[in-house]
Amino acid sequence: MSVNEPDPGLPIAPGSPLARVLDGYRAPDLPAGFADRVLAAAEARPAPLPELRRPARTRRWRIGQRIAIGALSFGALATAAAATGLLEQLAIPVPSAETVWASLTGKAQASAAPEPLVAAAAVPAPTPAPVVNEGPIDTPEELAEKLRRVDQVRAGRREERRAIIDQRIKSEIERRGAAGLRVPTPEEEARLRAKIEQAVTAREQRADAAAAARREAMQRKVENGEALTREDLTGRKPVIPETRERLRGLRGLSPEERAKAWRELTPEERRLVTEELRARRAARLSGQPAAAPTAVPPQDTPPSE
Amino acid sequence: MNTATEPAPATAIAPPPGDDAAWAERLAARDPAALREMIARHGATLHRVAYRMTGDAHEAEDIVQEAMLRLWDHAPAIAAKHAVGSQAAARLRLGGWLKRVATNLAIDRLRRARRISGGEVPEEEDDAPLADAVIEAGERDNLARALVLALPERQRAAIVLTYYEELPNAEAAEAMDMNIKAFESLLHRARTALRQALTAQGDAP
Repeated sequence: MSVNEPDPGLPIAPGSPLARVLDGYRAPDLPAGFADRVLAAAEARPAPLPELRRPARTRRWRIGQRIAIGALSFGALATAAAATGLLEQLAIPVPSAETVWASLTGKAQASAAPEPLVAAAAVPAPTPAPVVNEGPIDTPEELAEKLRRVDQVRAGRREERRAIIDQRIKSEIERRGAAGLRVPTPEEEARLRAKIEQAVTAREQRADAAAAARREAMQRKVENGEALTREDLTGRKPVIPETRERLRGLRGLSPEERAKAWRELTPEERRLVTEELRARRAARLSGQPAAAPTAVPPQDTPPSE
Repeated sequence: MNTATEPAPATAIAPPPGDDAAWAERLAARDPAALREMIARHGATLHRVAYRMTGDAHEAEDIVQEAMLRLWDHAPAIAAKHAVGSQAAARLRLGGWLKRVATNLAIDRLRRARRISGGEVPEEEDDAPLADAVIEAGERDNLARALVLALPERQRAAIVLTYYEELPNAEAAEAMDMNIKAFESLLHRARTALRQALTAQGDAP
C-alpha cells in the first residue's frame, strides 16, 4: 500500500461502493408465532438446576488464591530444605530461629555473640608476672601477696587458654577452607564457641571453688602462726626427682611409645607433664623461644588449678 | 445499517436504566409475559445478527430461541446478582447479554458446521429464473452475503454488530467478550478483508 492509498481498514462510509453492496444483505423478519413457540419451549423446559452451594468466585479471588497457595508451597519447600540441611550443603546460610528472634526483638543472644571471644583473642595474652617467693609463708601479709600473684598468673593463664582456643578454631577453619571441605557457617561457629566457652567457664568455676576451700585452710594455718608448705599451696604432693627424670625420658619416645608410657604414668606425673607443655605453649604464643624445661620446679611456681 | 423495512434496533427502544433488573426479576418469577416482552424487544435484533452471521434463516431462529431460553434459565441468577434498587441493577443490560449469547451461539454453530463440512458453510444458490430487477437485487444480495460469509467468524461478527446493528465499538467488544483494543484490531482486519474481496470481485471477469 502506497502512502496515497487510503487505509482499507477505515470505517465504511455510507454511500460508498462497499456500503452499497453490504446494504443489499437484508435479513428477514422473525416469523409470526415465534414468540409463542419460544414460550411453549420455555414452559416445557425443565426447571433450572439450583445454584451451587459454593458461589462462583471472582477472577481476582481465584488469582489471589493461587498466589497464596504458591507462596505457602514455596514456604513449605524452603522450610523442608532448611530442616534437612540441603541449604547448608549449597553454602546458603540459614539462621536459627533463636538468631532471627533475637534480631527481631533486638535482644542479644548469648550463644550467637562471639564478640567477647574474638576480643579476648585479639588482645595479646599478658605475660604472667614473675612471682618471687622469699622464704616460707607464715604471715597473713605474705599470704595475701602470694595469693595476689597467684590470681595474676591465673588470669593470664585463662587469657592464654582462650587465645589458644580461638587460634585452633581459626586454623581449623582455614585448613578446611584450603582443603575444599565445608566450613562452618557463622551460626555454627558461634554455637561451637559458645559450647567451648561454657565448658571453660565450668572448669574455671570448679577450680575457683577448690581454690577457695584451699585458701581458707591456708588462712587458718597462717593465722595459727604455722608456715605454709608447697603442698599447702599447690594442693599436691611434691614430685620426686625420679619421677621428673622419668617424664623427661618421655620426650625421646615415638608417639605410640609415648602414649603407652603416658597411660602408665600416675595422675601426679601426668599433671606435671601437662604443666610443662602449657608453659612451652604459652611461650610459643607470646612469640618468645620456648624455655628449656626445668629439671626441678622453681620454688615460686604458682599452684596449678 | 438498518433498512426501512426492518424494525429499529434495540437501542432505540432500550428501557430506562434499572428497568432490566425489574424484567429479570419477573423472568426469575417465571412470568411468561416478561419473556414475551423480551422477545418483542430483542428478538428482531438477535435474529438479524444471527441471520447475517449464519446466512440461514432457520438457523437464526434456532439461535434466537436458544438465547431466549438461556435468558429464561439464567434469570434467577441474573436477578440475584442485580437486585432491584442496587447499583448493579443500574448496570444490567439484558439486550447486551442476549447479543453476547447469540453471537457466541452463532460462532459456535459456524465452527461446528465447518468441522463437519470441512470447509466454509455452503451458500444457498437460487437458480430459478427471475425478472431483471429481481436478478439485479438478488445479485447484489448474493454478493453482499458472499462477502460477509467469506469472512472468518469473529470478523463477520464484528462487521455485523458495528455496521449492520450500528453498535458502538465498546458495546460490540463487550458483546464479543473482547477488550476494546483487540476488537478494533479485529474490526480493522474485517474491513480490510471486505474491501479486498470487493476489489477482487470487481476485477473478476
